[in-house]
Amino acid sequence: KFRMPTRDNLVPIRVDVEVDGQRYRDAFTWNPRDPDSEIISFAKRTAKDLKLPASFVPQMLQSIQGQLAEFRSYEGQEMQIKEKIMPLKIDLRVNNTLVRDQFLWDIGNLDSDPEEFARTLCDDLNITDPEVGPAIAVSIREQLYEIASQSVSAMREAKVSKKRRAPEFASNSKAMNNAVDMFKYFGSKGSVIRKRKEWYLYAPVVDVVPNEEVVVVDTTE
Amino acid sequence: MSPAAAGAASSGEAPPSRPKRELYTIPASSSWFRWDDIHETERSALPEFFGGPGGNSYGTASRNPRIYREYRDYIINKYREDPARRLTFTEVRKALVGDATLLRKLFGFLDSSGLINFSATSPRPVAQQPGLDAVLEAPVGLQVTPRPQVSYSVEERFGGGTGENVFRLPPLSSYVDVFGEWAPGKGPICAFCGVECKDGKVETLEDGFKVCSTCCKTNSDNEEANKCAGDKKESADNHASSAWTDAETLLLLEGVLKHGDDWDLITQHVRTKNKLECIARLIQLPFGEHMLGAINGKSDSRFQTSQTTDGKTNHYIVKDTSSQSNEMVDGMQIDGEQDGADKLVEEQPSKRQRLSSSIDVTGSLMEQLALLTTATSLDVVAAAAAASIKALGSENPQAKNAFHLSEKEYQGKTFSSNHIHESECNVGDQEGEMHGQTVPDKKLQKKYISTAYQVRAAVGTAVGVAAARAKMLVDQEEREIELLLASIIETQLRKIQYKIKHFEELELIMDQEYNTIQQIKESLINEWLKVLEQAFQAGVPIQRDEVLTKLFLNKSTP
Repeated sequence: KFRMPTRDNLVPIRVDVEVDGQRYRDAFTWNPRDPDSEIISFAKRTAKDLKLPASFVPQMLQSIQGQLAEFRSYEGQEMQIKEKIMPLKIDLRVNNTLVRDQFLWDIGNLDSDPEEFARTLCDDLNITDPEVGPAIAVSIREQLYEIASQSVSAMREAKVSKKRRAPEFASNSKAMNNAVDMFKYFGSKGSVIRKRKEWYLYAPVVDVVPNEEVVVVDTTE
Repeated sequence: MSPAAAGAASSGEAPPSRPKRELYTIPASSSWFRWDDIHETERSALPEFFGGPGGNSYGTASRNPRIYREYRDYIINKYREDPARRLTFTEVRKALVGDATLLRKLFGFLDSSGLINFSATSPRPVAQQPGLDAVLEAPVGLQVTPRPQVSYSVEERFGGGTGENVFRLPPLSSYVDVFGEWAPGKGPICAFCGVECKDGKVETLEDGFKVCSTCCKTNSDNEEANKCAGDKKESADNHASSAWTDAETLLLLEGVLKHGDDWDLITQHVRTKNKLECIARLIQLPFGEHMLGAINGKSDSRFQTSQTTDGKTNHYIVKDTSSQSNEMVDGMQIDGEQDGADKLVEEQPSKRQRLSSSIDVTGSLMEQLALLTTATSLDVVAAAAAASIKALGSENPQAKNAFHLSEKEYQGKTFSSNHIHESECNVGDQEGEMHGQTVPDKKLQKKYISTAYQVRAAVGTAVGVAAARAKMLVDQEEREIELLLASIIETQLRKIQYKIKHFEELELIMDQEYNTIQQIKESLINEWLKVLEQAFQAGVPIQRDEVLTKLFLNKSTP
């Protein structure tokens, strides 16, 4: 059954609303079990805190509700849950901090916790900006969401085409093909310790951008 | 990186050909660890690798004991390369192939069971936040520094505010520190910078506050601060960048009242502090949260006036204690009391007459008390005194001694002025005794202590009394307001009633007039009919008269 392959079944939401030359961009996590009235009060509260005109609120509402509806439309459907280790990437800029990273994630591990991962990352790398952690967590969730929804559509295809083959063979999606070849590493002849020359691929990179550049990037985005 | 090369303490004897053998001290709690084997602790903590939940439902290609050992050994060896340095998960993660969550769990297990990072000296990041979801503004959390940082958001849910939860009475300007450590011989403390003023560096401002000369020069143009009678320096750990003077606090409170929740406007109002500092300061003030609640539309009494239930209230002192001139008391100014009173008044954000107008700052403590007691009733003072006796007595047995309280007295308190006299006499006697005798250290000590308590008594009672007075004034005003409102409403009602009556009368008159008009109309028509009849009989030709036909016509319509 479809769900986010994480310990908490939370949905990543991304909002990008523009009204009268003012732009509001945000990304956060939402609990789909929250009542819809919460969305309205959240949107109003956000607009008030950021001093946005009230005309933002309906568009924000629409965006959030649309994404939630899409999530819910997946919910009844079948999803394949088995161990599959995929590489996830992080490449984002939050205020003055740039983070680039790549790591492996088992999309079949329903106990996974993007927030904890993000927290550990920020602590270990001494990132002081408190907005970076949540941004990383949301990014991870988005990627997981993408993978999960692809798994659902793959299952559906398999059913429709009545081929009854295991979906992993039928799936052509790019994401699935990136999965780690289990035998290479976990087979009896392989080793789970990565070669040193490959470490750089999976090591995080953090940059702090000075304020002038931030302004430039903001205006070009 | 084979385990044997590491030479752990638990390994067997090393062959003599080995070049170097390193010894590690590992915590006793992890002494069960063996390189060659997987211990029960490990199996139960990480069942995924050993066929437990998560191990079974998977193709166990990636989760088996061999893999587990590879991970584990790698991490432990990595740590032992430099035991003084704390090994972070992010470092090892890049070198291991596998699910990040599982690896994190493994790493956490090794860390908590003392197999790695057991002698790491670098500080561990503190206070991991439980949840970063849904609220983008999650706070940073407490950092272990001497000065707690200001939190990022007032709406924090995780209690990451500044560490000081106890609102200590701020050190009063230019007095000897009687409240905290008893350290005789200290000089007065400057009102602005809070440091002890060396001799000769003290200048007295017009309000009677002592300021060290350096501060005086820099602040000579800061009129507002000077004139503000309640200027105090706060304890050092309550702010992020600079002291919150009274002027600023006052501005903050005004701003909060005016602008409610809007921190940008408040910050503009308090020009010298930024948004975060304002928010933090408001939280720290003892009624800060009440104010936020009040602004959000809740009801009146924001300010809890407690007469005698403060822990601080103390004894009432005899009026003629000017005789007890220790060096300690010399330094003491009425500022303490003044500050107390003013602070109370200031914190009431209503436009009330300041209590300070009646208090002469340069008088002595006792005169102040006398003034205050005349302002309120004797019962109030008695109550304050009694409660303070009790409080002090419970606080310290020596206080009991100092005031000659017997057990019976202590328990059977009544609020009567007699009691005051009793305590007065007792204190007086005590003092008489002490003065008359030569002063061995013990007695001196006692004297100091009793003085301390008495001094505390003065301030405490003053505070209590002022509070009582303030409350009375509040009540009075409220009643007045109610009365006025009621009378206004009454007069309005009466006005409306008169108007209604007036209109009713008018209506009546109208009706009557209408009736008479109708009657006149009818009689007119009858007459005209008669005239016509007579004209017919007389055979006189009659012209058609437009006007009258209209009259007939009109008659038929109403």
